[in-house]
Amino acid sequence: MFKEGLGETSKFSEYHPTVNLIYFVFVIGITMFATSPVFLAVTFFCAWFYSVILRGYKAIKMNIVFMLPIFAVMVFVNTFFNHNGETILFYLNKAPITKEALVFGVAAAIVLTSVIIWFMCFNVIMSADKFIFLFGRAAPILGLLLSMTFRFIKLLKVRFREISEGQKCLGKEGNKRILSRIRQLLKEVSILISWSLEASIETADSMEARGYGLKGRTFFHIYKFTGRDLKMMILILISGGISALGCIMKEMTMYYYPVLDFPEESWLTAVVLTFYGILLLLPAISDIYGELKWERLNSEM
Amino acid sequence: MGTVEFRNVSFKYPLSEKEALKDVTLKIDASEFVVVCGKSGCGKTTLLRQLKKNLIPYGRLEGEVLYDGENPAVTDDRKSAAEIGFVRQDPDSQIVTDKVWHELAFGLESLGMDNSTIKRRVAETASFFDIQTWFRKNTDELSGGQKQMVNLASVMVMQPKLLILDEPTAQLDPIAASEFLRTIHRINREIGTTVILSEHRLEEAFVMADRVVVMEEGKIICDDVPAKVGTYLSGEPRNDMFLGLPSVMKIFNEIEPSGESPLTMREGRIWLESFLKDRIIPETMQRELPPEIRRQEQGKDRRESKNDEQGHGKGTDKSNKEGRKSNKDRIYAIEAKDLWFRYSKKEQDVLRGTDLRVPKGQWLSILGGNGTGKSTLLKTLCGVIKPSRGDLRTGGRISMLPQDPRTLFTEITAEEELQEALYDKNESDKEKAEKTEKMICLMELQEIRKMHPYDLSGGEQQRLALGKVLLTEPSIILLDEPTKGLDAFFKRTLAEIFMKLTEEGMTIVMVSHDMEFCAEYSYCCAMFFDGEVVSADAPEDFFSGNNFYTTVSNRIAGKWFPKAVTYQEVAGCVKAMM
Repeated sequence: MFKEGLGETSKFSEYHPTVNLIYFVFVIGITMFATSPVFLAVTFFCAWFYSVILRGYKAIKMNIVFMLPIFAVMVFVNTFFNHNGETILFYLNKAPITKEALVFGVAAAIVLTSVIIWFMCFNVIMSADKFIFLFGRAAPILGLLLSMTFRFIKLLKVRFREISEGQKCLGKEGNKRILSRIRQLLKEVSILISWSLEASIETADSMEARGYGLKGRTFFHIYKFTGRDLKMMILILISGGISALGCIMKEMTMYYYPVLDFPEESWLTAVVLTFYGILLLLPAISDIYGELKWERLNSEM
Repeated sequence: MGTVEFRNVSFKYPLSEKEALKDVTLKIDASEFVVVCGKSGCGKTTLLRQLKKNLIPYGRLEGEVLYDGENPAVTDDRKSAAEIGFVRQDPDSQIVTDKVWHELAFGLESLGMDNSTIKRRVAETASFFDIQTWFRKNTDELSGGQKQMVNLASVMVMQPKLLILDEPTAQLDPIAASEFLRTIHRINREIGTTVILSEHRLEEAFVMADRVVVMEEGKIICDDVPAKVGTYLSGEPRNDMFLGLPSVMKIFNEIEPSGESPLTMREGRIWLESFLKDRIIPETMQRELPPEIRRQEQGKDRRESKNDEQGHGKGTDKSNKEGRKSNKDRIYAIEAKDLWFRYSKKEQDVLRGTDLRVPKGQWLSILGGNGTGKSTLLKTLCGVIKPSRGDLRTGGRISMLPQDPRTLFTEITAEEELQEALYDKNESDKEKAEKTEKMICLMELQEIRKMHPYDLSGGEQQRLALGKVLLTEPSIILLDEPTKGLDAFFKRTLAEIFMKLTEEGMTIVMVSHDMEFCAEYSYCCAMFFDGEVVSADAPEDFFSGNNFYTTVSNRIAGKWFPKAVTYQEVAGCVKAMM
C-alpha cells in the first residue's frame, strides 16, 4: 500500500496546518541537537521510515542520492581537516588523523541527512496552501503575496512554453549556430517579460476592481481546528516538550572531543528516548492506522 | 438600484484627435439586460469603463455619467468595489490567486468580512455557478471557460447591483461561450442584476437582451429591442454591423427590410413555414442552389480553373474520388498518411492513423469538437510535434499562426515587428524594406505602423501576427482559430486576405470552431473526429450532409433548401421563390 507513497493523501497532512508546523519545528529542532548514538540511530531510522511512507520507493533512491555525497564530503573533510581528538590513528603529511574526528564526521553527516530527509517530508505535508494559510494568519497581505507568487510562477511556465511553440511555428529555432540560438532564447525571454508585464496591469486592475486596497482586509481560509487536531496537538506538545527538555538537559548530547565520551545510560535517558521515539513516529503511526482503517472499511463494504 | 445614465457624454483620449465617444445618451434601468455591439474600436470599451471607478480612462470627459444618480468617479471606493462588477476579456490575467476558493473569496476579503460570512457567501456562489467539483483546484488547471466562470463568480460573490462584461467570451470556444452567456442570462433573470454586455457573438446574446445598443465611431446609432435592430442596419447603404447580426435576422431582413424579426432558430423556422406555406418548392432546389445566388461558387470556380491550369483538378475530396484515375501527378502541398501520435505513454492516442491530402492553393477548414486533437494535428503538420508513426510530406515551407498572437511580438512598433521576421534572411536592407512595406499594405496596417503591438486591438494584433508569419515566406500556412475574438466585419476582411493569398498559390489549413466563417468563405471543410479526418467536402456539401453539425442558416432552412448553408444562400433561395 505504500508503493507509490501516500503523498498528499497522508492522514497526517489532513491535520490543521498549525499542528503540522509545530510538529516539524519540534522534530527538526531537536534532531539537530540529538548527537548521542542511540538518538542518532532513532532519528535516522524514523526519518527514513516516514519518508518512505510518504513518497514510496522513490524516496529510497532520493535519500541515497542525497546521503552519499553528504557522507563522503563530511566524513572526508572532518577527518582530514579537523585535527582535534586524542586517539591518533596515523599521520598524513605530519598532520594527525584522529578517531574522534572520523566519528564526529559520521555523526554530523547523519544529523544533516536526517534533517534533509525531514525537510523532504515537510515539503510533502506542508503544501503551498498551508504555507499561505500560516503566513496569511500572520498578515493577510503576506498570504496573498505568496498565493499570487505561486500562481505567477505557474503562469510564467505556461507562457514560456506557448512562446517557444509559437516561435517554432514561425520556423525559427531551427538554427544550430550557438549565437543565433542564444539570440532566439533572449528573444523568447523578452516576449515573456513584456507579455507578463502587460498582463499584470490587467491583474492589478482586476484586484482593484474587487476592492483591493480598502482598509481592513481579512484572510479567508478553509481549515478548521477540530477536536482531532487538538488531541494530536496535545500529543505533540507532551512528547515534544519532554524531548526538548531532555535535549536541554543534555540527555541527547554526546561529546566527541577530546575523547569520545559515551553518555551514561540512566532511567532519565530511557524516558526521554521513549518520548522522542513517540514524537518521531507519531505521523507514521497515524498514517498507517489510517490506511489500515481504510482497508478494513473497504473490505467490509 | 443599479441604474445607469449617460447624458450627452463625449470623451477624448489624450494625444488623440478623434473623440472616442461622441454625444452618447443612454439610460439603463435596474434589472435590464443591455447588449452593446459594434465593430472593434467603436468605443464600446471606453463607454463601459466610464462606470467603474478604478477603470475610468484618462482623458477629457464632457457630459454626465451617472450610476444610481451619482458620478461613478467620485463614488465611495467600497461601494464601487461591491456594487459594480466588471469582467474582461482575458480569462488568465484577471485571476489573482492560485486556488479557485481563494479567488472566490478575494473580493470579500477586501471588504473585510469575517471567515464564517465569507464561507457562506462563497458556498452559495459556488453552488449557483456549479463550481463545487473544482472548488479546491488550482486556477491554472482550469480550462478557459472555467477560468472565465471563476472570474464571473468572484465578481458575483460580492453581490453587485450592476454587472458589466467587456467581450467576456472572446477567448472562449463556442461551447464554453454559450454556457457563459447562459449563466449571465440566469444572473439577470434570477437575481435581477443589471447587465451591460459588449459582445461579438450576437447569435446568442440577442435572444437574451432586453435592448441592443449599436455603436459606430463613438456614437450610438441604434438603441432598440433586438427584433427591430436589423431594420436599422439593413437599410441602404447597408451598415457594416449588419454582418454581425444573428443569421435569423440577416435572413429575415434580407427578405423583409422592416418589421419585427424572429430571434431564435425556432421562431425563424416558424416564420419561414408561414412564409413558404403556399409556395411549391421546385425539385431542383433540393439538389442545388439556383445559379444566380451562388456567390461563393465564383471563388471556387476561379480556384478550380486555376488548378486546372496547373493540372491538378478540383477540391480535396472530390479530387480524391474522381481525380485519382484521371491524373496521378497532382501537386499536393501536404500529404500525410497514417499519422499516429500520443502525448505520453499512458495517455490515449490523439492522432489515430490520420490521412490528409491537401492540394496546392486549397483553403481547408478543419472543424470538430473541443479537445479532439485538432490543434495537435496542426502542430504535427507544422513539425512542432513529431508523429510516432506515419508518413508526412510537405511541399514547401510551412508556418503556423499560433492561437495567441502575443507569443510572436518582440519589438516596440508594428513596423519593426515585421522587419524582425526578415532578420535571418540574406537580403539587402532595401529589399527587406520593400517587403515590409508590401506587407503593411496587404494587411492594412498603415495607420498603426508606429504603434506598440500590445496597444493594438485583438483584430489588429491578429493581422500583424499574420503579416509577420507571411513574411517568412511560407507556401503553406496553418491557422489555429484565426477568427477568435474578431468582429464580423473584420472576419470578412480576413477572408478576403486569405482568398488573395490562395490565388497566389498559398495553401491554407485552418482549424476552427466558427462554422459560419468556414461555410461562407473556405473552399473545403473537413471534420476531425476520434483522431481522424472523417469527411472532407466543399462547404455546401459538407454542411448540408450534416444534421447536428451545421450552420444556423442551414438548420433553419435545411428542410426546404438543403444546399443553402449561408444566410445569403437561404435568403437568395427564398427570394427566388417570390
